[in-house]
Amino acid sequence: MRRPTGWAAPLAALAAVIALAAPAAAQDSVFGIRGLGYWDRSGSARTAGMGGALAALDAESPVNPAAIGSWDATAGWAVGMASDRTFNPGTGSASLSSTRFPLLGVAGTVSRQLRVALTVSDYLDRNWSVSQPGVDTIAPGDTVVTSDQTESLGGVSDLGLAFAYRLTGVTVGLGLHALTGATRLSVTRQFPNDSSYHTFNQQGTTDFSGVGLSLGAIAGPLPNLLVGASLRVNGALKATTVDTVAHVRMPVELNFGAEYGLVPGVVVAASLGYATWSRASADLVAAGQQGARNVWSLGVGAEVAALHMGGQPLPLRLGYEWRQLPFPIGGGTLTESAFTGGLGLTGAGGRATVDAAVQVGRRGVSGLTEHYRALLLGVTIRP
Amino acid sequence: MSAWRKAVLAALAAGAVAGCTEKLTAPGQCPALCPTSNVQLADTLLTLADTADTSVRGFVLVREASYLLAANEDTLKALTLIRFSALDTVWYSTTKPVDTFYVGRMDSVKLSLHIGQRDTSVKNLKLLVYRLPARFDTAATYASILPYFADSTLVDTVPIADTASNGGDLELKIADSLLIPPGDSGVVSLGLALASDSGTMLTLESGNLNTFTSAPTLQYYVHAKAPFDTLANEFSYQPFVATFVTNPPPAQPAPGVLAVGGLPTARSTIYLSLPKIVTDSTSVVRASLILNTVGAVGGFARDSFYVIAQPVVRDYGVKSILYPDSTVSGSVRLHQGQTGAVSIDVEPILRFWGTTVGDSTPRLIVLRVYPEGSILGSAAFAGRAAGALAPQLKVTYVKPYAFGVP
Repeated sequence: MRRPTGWAAPLAALAAVIALAAPAAAQDSVFGIRGLGYWDRSGSARTAGMGGALAALDAESPVNPAAIGSWDATAGWAVGMASDRTFNPGTGSASLSSTRFPLLGVAGTVSRQLRVALTVSDYLDRNWSVSQPGVDTIAPGDTVVTSDQTESLGGVSDLGLAFAYRLTGVTVGLGLHALTGATRLSVTRQFPNDSSYHTFNQQGTTDFSGVGLSLGAIAGPLPNLLVGASLRVNGALKATTVDTVAHVRMPVELNFGAEYGLVPGVVVAASLGYATWSRASADLVAAGQQGARNVWSLGVGAEVAALHMGGQPLPLRLGYEWRQLPFPIGGGTLTESAFTGGLGLTGAGGRATVDAAVQVGRRGVSGLTEHYRALLLGVTIRP
Repeated sequence: MSAWRKAVLAALAAGAVAGCTEKLTAPGQCPALCPTSNVQLADTLLTLADTADTSVRGFVLVREASYLLAANEDTLKALTLIRFSALDTVWYSTTKPVDTFYVGRMDSVKLSLHIGQRDTSVKNLKLLVYRLPARFDTAATYASILPYFADSTLVDTVPIADTASNGGDLELKIADSLLIPPGDSGVVSLGLALASDSGTMLTLESGNLNTFTSAPTLQYYVHAKAPFDTLANEFSYQPFVATFVTNPPPAQPAPGVLAVGGLPTARSTIYLSLPKIVTDSTSVVRASLILNTVGAVGGFARDSFYVIAQPVVRDYGVKSILYPDSTVSGSVRLHQGQTGAVSIDVEPILRFWGTTVGDSTPRLIVLRVYPEGSILGSAAFAGRAAGALAPQLKVTYVKPYAFGVP
């Protein structure tokens, strides 16, 4: 049996992990119940540790296809995330938790100038479950205590195929995106106080499909300065539930980022993003939901490589991120913010890197707040 | 470490983490954080007056029942008839100088009975044991067999202690000897009648329907014929026929009445014509078949029993094949003397009709007592022609739920 070489090993690992982890999803949120779900921008654990400040420059992220131009050899990466959330709707709190794989990818060199990468990342997370106690009146004088649980599992993943071409002083990129996934929905009604009633359960599946195209560039106009920008245009997302089909126009996404080396071993970075989610508004309203709005996102962070372990640098990262979420709750403006931190370990003679990041943040709207803590673990292998 | 091993380790690690327990359920905060659709209940009352029904008696015959009845009530009299297997004429021994011994004189004859139910409030019960023609007519009626319950055939009168309880054993020495004419080939038949201070009834285990361990037993204690007449032996026999006759005799249910139970056992069938929303397996959460009794529920005093409703696999009229899964059924417990409306939960049956297996089965419900042939209880319900008292089906269901797209 021949040993796999080059692309074979990372591709095999990617295929196995996709099979085990599908559908890939990022952090869940109780607010994913609204609109198309919880919109996330999956990136590497390094980027997460810096508050998302490297989003437009992240070689492992599908945001800017030009970023993969920084790979000089074949590489594979995966990010795992365990999150713990506390939701307080004002009538008591609930502790929630989940484990996800928001990002997987492989990249390789085609020629001195051309790079190619394949990524699987979360785009819309639709994992949520709510329980509602109640009393239903069947007829005058005939009431029954009920307990409903509605659940959604799954989401929309982004399969990205990116190409980057190195020119003198600038790298340009092209990304092709396929939005795909499914949501398994179920509703269960139980009657806890009346055994004459039997449990009601109904299930359904919604399949999603769509395409997108991204363009990006990264340049170094000044010493120690790297800037990047990307534009992503998405087609309509097609949602199919049995014989009902809906098309929802998806946003145009703009992302900008810069990274500057202040002194040797110290890097600061910032990113700014904008997405025109209001394009989806009319389609959502037509489907009986609330509309959507255009959203901004902002991230700032720093990385300090003052420490070493085993002869390798041990970078420490800090960051802050703030962003708006596109689907309103009761007409209120939903925002999310978090403080982040992380570190990176490089081993195996520079062939393997493990990045860890933590996020402590909150998201919500007046009266409804979800606090979350997330631990991300990213592994990058350059065989 | 090879690249393949790395790949496998990576996949295993991913699988292990993916298997972590998740906790996703949050309290709904409506309307902000609730689904756009709500589960809505509705109910409907279907009068089954335009459907078909029928009632037939004879599914378990009297001689097949697991109990024997003796009664001396004003409204019900019953006599028990038992034919025991033939007494052997010889027995064999491997421990004696010779191995074959012929039955000679009897020392005594004992009758053992197992009480099923009795009304303990009625005192001074006595069982009158009569000698019946060895090969009495198994199709005998109360009137035809009554002449044999005469003083001339009385074998013994055996008191039943007031303390004797339900499920207790009776061991009765009924005679020193029973003369068995040669023409009877060793067969002995006995009749049992009940006497008491006031009218009552008594049931005894019959040995039918796999209750042979508590069947009536006739034991002969005998000596061998000379010259071995000092040797004794014991013979024990269970019934070949165990039945009873009643006055009034059982009759087919009256027209328009849905009868269940009694002996011979009656069953009733109800054909249903249902709208689609009712047979949608996912939407019905409660379905009650409402029946109105005709007269009081019969049975042993202060006793109760179950009436069950079952679907059928094939409709062959009174011989329809019942669907055997006990979870696809409904039941109600009735007590003796009960009147009025009773309700049977038939939601499992409607749910069954919505499944792939049940979809092709007839919309037919069979009503019967449980277990048939082992209880005295009986009931009659108004049929479809009874107007306001006709059977009704009350169905509570969930209106079609829309998950919403997207």
